[in-house]
Amino acid sequence: MLQPLTVVLLVASGLLGLLAAHHLLRGRLVDDPLIIVGAAIELALVVQLVVGLTKASAIGDGAERATFIAYLFTVLLVIPATIVIAVKEKTQWAMAVVLGGALVVAILVARLQQVWSLNV
Amino acid sequence: MSEPTSTPAASPEQPLTERPHTGHGFGRVLVAVYGLLALAATGRSILQITEYFDRAPVPFLLSALAALIYLVATIGLARGDRASVRLATIALTVELVGVLVVGTWSVVRPEAFPEKTVWSHFGAGYGYVPLVLPLVGLWWIRRTARATAASDAEVARSAD
Repeated sequence: MLQPLTVVLLVASGLLGLLAAHHLLRGRLVDDPLIIVGAAIELALVVQLVVGLTKASAIGDGAERATFIAYLFTVLLVIPATIVIAVKEKTQWAMAVVLGGALVVAILVARLQQVWSLNV
Repeated sequence: MSEPTSTPAASPEQPLTERPHTGHGFGRVLVAVYGLLALAATGRSILQITEYFDRAPVPFLLSALAALIYLVATIGLARGDRASVRLATIALTVELVGVLVVGTWSVVRPEAFPEKTVWSHFGAGYGYVPLVLPLVGLWWIRRTARATAASDAEVARSAD
């Protein structure tokens, strides 16, 4: 699709995961760096949505195209949901949720790339 | 968080020792995972039913059932009141029975499952998460119930 964007997203979600793991070990909760990285990922995901939607017609198979578009939208929900959960929780489990969320974003971004490369 | 936004003692709604709740602590992780599965299963079943239902109606209906169960489990665990937890317990039990029955069925008669569902082959396609998750969830509900009983007994003792 747009390979540089995919790479940026994978690196950024890796960074978020590392940050969450660090906070988890240090017993810290949600702070500004975490929110900023999360927001940056979300912004990149919105760019990915726009790019993906404009290019989606290149996927011939209807069901595969629907899957691709569904992933484009679904991945947008993960970061906001995990941050909301993490803000509410005042124990280290908050960071476990963020760590999981970062992993899910990375998996979904990789899946998007996979669906794209298998069908174009 | 660096700035002290609220001290526990200052807010009257937050008791110093929090009451056990299925949606707090480790429960947040469970709620997040169940929420994710609900989302994934719902999306998948909508796609399967609208795009190619004729191909394999039984697996696709099972996907839809799984989606519904994950949704009920997510909401039940997150709410955490007595009725919600009971509902979540039922959902998780059905999920466990479902993954065991469908898992066995798909191994014994693979021709009945030309299309994957979340539960076929005991959820192997999803890293066995559908098999492990209801067990973890039921354990967590049980643990929370016991902790609640213990804390209630503590409160009753201190009130005497």
